[in-house]
Amino acid sequence: MLKVLDFFNYARSKSPWIVHFCSGCCSLEMLAAMGPRYDWERYGYIMTPTPRQADIMFITGLVSKKILPALLRTYEQMPEPRYVMAIGACAYDGGPYNDSASVIKNMTEILPADVFVAGCPPRPEAIIAGLEELKEKIKRGEPSASSQGGLWKQMKF
Amino acid sequence: MENIKNILNKFDMEYVEDYKPTWVKAKLKNKEDILNVVKALKKEGVKTCSTISPTDFIDENKIEVNYFLEDLFNKRNVWLKVDIPRELENCEIDSITPLMPSADWHELEAYSTFGVKFKGHPNLRYFLISRDYYGKFPFRKDFDWKEHEKNLMQNIAEITEEYFDEYEEYEENVGHDGSRTVLNWGPTHPASGPIRLKVYTNGENVEKIDPDIGYVWRALEHLAERKDFIGTIVAVERICFMDNPNPMICYSQAVEEIAGKEITEFAKYMRVILGETGRIASHLISLGGFFGTMGLQTFSMWCLDIREYFLDVLEDYSGARIATACIEPGGVRYPLNDYKAWFESINKAIKKFEDTKDDITDIFMKNPLMNTRAKGNGVFTLDDVAKYYLAGPIARASGAKIDVRIDEPYAAYDKLEMDYVTCENGDARDRLYIIFKELQQAMDLIKQAMAKIEEGISEGEMDPKKDHLIKMPKRMPAGEAVARVEWARGEMLMHLVTQEKATSPYRLKLKAPSVNHTMVLDKLLKGKTLSDIPLLYGSMHICQGDLDR
Repeated sequence: MLKVLDFFNYARSKSPWIVHFCSGCCSLEMLAAMGPRYDWERYGYIMTPTPRQADIMFITGLVSKKILPALLRTYEQMPEPRYVMAIGACAYDGGPYNDSASVIKNMTEILPADVFVAGCPPRPEAIIAGLEELKEKIKRGEPSASSQGGLWKQMKF
Repeated sequence: MENIKNILNKFDMEYVEDYKPTWVKAKLKNKEDILNVVKALKKEGVKTCSTISPTDFIDENKIEVNYFLEDLFNKRNVWLKVDIPRELENCEIDSITPLMPSADWHELEAYSTFGVKFKGHPNLRYFLISRDYYGKFPFRKDFDWKEHEKNLMQNIAEITEEYFDEYEEYEENVGHDGSRTVLNWGPTHPASGPIRLKVYTNGENVEKIDPDIGYVWRALEHLAERKDFIGTIVAVERICFMDNPNPMICYSQAVEEIAGKEITEFAKYMRVILGETGRIASHLISLGGFFGTMGLQTFSMWCLDIREYFLDVLEDYSGARIATACIEPGGVRYPLNDYKAWFESINKAIKKFEDTKDDITDIFMKNPLMNTRAKGNGVFTLDDVAKYYLAGPIARASGAKIDVRIDEPYAAYDKLEMDYVTCENGDARDRLYIIFKELQQAMDLIKQAMAKIEEGISEGEMDPKKDHLIKMPKRMPAGEAVARVEWARGEMLMHLVTQEKATSPYRLKLKAPSVNHTMVLDKLLKGKTLSDIPLLYGSMHICQGDLDR
């Protein structure tokens, strides 16, 4: 039985689908990673417009207060196991918008991320490298960080 | 110009003076006169309101409202100021939206952020700001945002509550009978960024579109007030990453004007090259996005491929692909140590585009499916351009000869050969064609600017290693300035106010074109079918970054 489950994780790690959710400007570098030069489909990643079929959610840079409920709702609609990858300085502490009155600064406290890719915005290579790291985590069958904690569990959305 | 001055002088004015070749600056004494002034100006041909920018002078206990009114076709602009009281009960002025529909959302924004009540506005409501700021007017100088931020979780709960209220409201008003419903197009639709269009439909037919914006509202105008003059670049360039250099050019011009500095010739040409490279990078996304929203991804991929070469150009110069921070007040940030190598990479990028150009024309611009769907669809006339202030490529697609680069030349555009690029019909297809034409124009401009730099270097007039930056004062004198640039999506206007010996801006108003382009979506899509939404939305080249700021 254990072996079968291992195989599931192995298979899952080979083609992770990513929910198409843009909340900030880092999505432009995500677009570049999709494009012909970096082409992340070589590694098996693909975007899907619906959260119901997705394995990974990106926090693409800044998250404003207004989009947070939508982001959490999208996350909640993803099937388990679901992983979160935060890209860009804003996703960590607000980055250049740290002084801004409308950007959330503690995003990783609300929805903990499994992998964080630094940069403003991170280069497409870095995004792909971050995804590769996440792949290893999926293969090992580790539970995702957001399933173990985070403020999102107490929030209404 | 004289006509406008005569009209203004008929009213009770504090002063009427010339400002730049294309502007008249005037200050009105009584706020009661505003409607009559605007009415008289409209009769003269100044039909468009570019934006409305209140400035909060807390020490003098007044709010100064700046109106930027434009006569698009005769290149005459009016900068009208009027003081109003600061107390919330009396902080009101007549709305000019009934006269100039282009002022609609700008008035809503001024109301939401500063609390200026516009009497007679058809639908005055809170707008752009998130629910937790309703009634608090966050851009006023005495608003304590740090105190406000302490209750973050509660604020988020309030915003969520708003969504739930809305669902219930729809349940009651729309009901389950019949074929009427309200569709949410967004806030995370893959074809758009974070924007929500509330689409009121009857079956397949669109009855009304109500855009809900503010999903990437970063309060950049507010943020700029807490940064120094160099640090503001970080806020300004993040208006939209697609065309990154041009907002920095606009901001730098405003700072240079207040400081009274003139940048070097070399820096001017560098600004042309960087600005046009940014425009190309943005236009390539728009071009690909147009087909992407119709469901044809191949062309997006082609465009992204070409775009990478232009991003290489920016990277070679500044070290960053899209967040370049390459232009600052006083010139451009970095010297060109090896200009030949950089020009080589520009030429490589241009060649990449030119090799693909014929294929693009044959396969995509003549694409029969695209022609069937987009030709004659979503037409804007010249009247619409003036009425709603459609800017940039959208206006030029309707045949309007508007281009800030020619009307009010900045950087080195007056020394380069260029002409208005226009199309005639103003339909969705022309809004695609115009982008393709402008790409070619931008590359031509880059080639001209490179030739001028090479010429200057060989004649010993320019030194690419030293001329890039002049020294700017750390502390600015008191003053204010308006700067405009032709951004990839249209006119960008910045209004900068500084105080004596200031180290950071007192007020920076950012006006970006997508606001007006989103405002007209209701008019554009009414009576169309659901399948037209992505097509026509894509044809407006809207970016949420500059929509929300």
